[in-house]
Amino acid sequence: MTEFNCQETKKHVHEFLQQELSDAEMNEVAAHLAHCESCEGDYGFEHLFNTVIQRSCNEAPPAELASRIMARVREINAEAGK
Amino acid sequence: MASLNPPLTQFGFRRVNSHSMPDKKTLASKAELRDFEEETLPLMPLLLALARRQTNSEQDAEDLVAETYIKAFRSWSQFEPGSNLKAWLVKIMRNTNLNNIEKTKRDKSHGASIDALEDWQVGAATSLTAMASRSAEAEAIDNMPAKSVTDALDRLPGEFKEVVLQAIVLGLPYAEIAENMGTPVGTVMSRLHRGKKLLRAELAGYGREEGYSVENIDNGDKGQK
Repeated sequence: MTEFNCQETKKHVHEFLQQELSDAEMNEVAAHLAHCESCEGDYGFEHLFNTVIQRSCNEAPPAELASRIMARVREINAEAGK
Repeated sequence: MASLNPPLTQFGFRRVNSHSMPDKKTLASKAELRDFEEETLPLMPLLLALARRQTNSEQDAEDLVAETYIKAFRSWSQFEPGSNLKAWLVKIMRNTNLNNIEKTKRDKSHGASIDALEDWQVGAATSLTAMASRSAEAEAIDNMPAKSVTDALDRLPGEFKEVVLQAIVLGLPYAEIAENMGTPVGTVMSRLHRGKKLLRAELAGYGREEGYSVENIDNGDKGQK
């Protein structure tokens, strides 16, 4: 297996985290991260950053929104049947 | 109006006309309704998260999601089972939102493409954080209030924000994002990369203003007192 160097590894951080790499590439990245503190730190940071972005955006919808939407959908459906 | 009804126009790219329904007006059976509800409703919180970042108020965001569901329901028979439902809904919502924006205020044209944003503009921002050690920055970001993060997201150029949201918050594959935005996959990748870089710089700047700066983190051994 030809392992990625630091430059290649750092370049692939987003693809890795979004699971856009092939299995072979995932393995190469993992192999590099296992013994490279610098790259592992980069990956860890980007992963944390993603978590923070997700967390910040996922404020729950108001409780009644789902039922309001479905009520409207049923209404439209009933109109379509006329 | 008897049109050929090509697949792409069903979402009304060009204009909004809430009274023009797709040609077939059939009443969905109870089972079909339940099917629609069971498959699409679990995705609603994610769509709302996206809508909140693309509209100016909670009300508008909820309206956009509701409108999206109504359009999705009307086109439900055109959804291909096995394809990515989340991406399909995002596409409907995106087109609905674009139409709404076009309807309210026509034009707000930026001259140059956002992708022409110079590298030095992105790069310069990063150097703001260069002094801080990565672990201190990670700690600052981890402690950042949600509102600060969403505010910073809202300040990103639209195309960057959209890719960051679709990729990170909704977890859509690059190929689906590219399809939804009508760009090559390479553009999605570079927008994600640069979007996160800009966001990181925004947050570093915000942290300094609001006292979340890494210099002020009071953890005993770091920080200048």
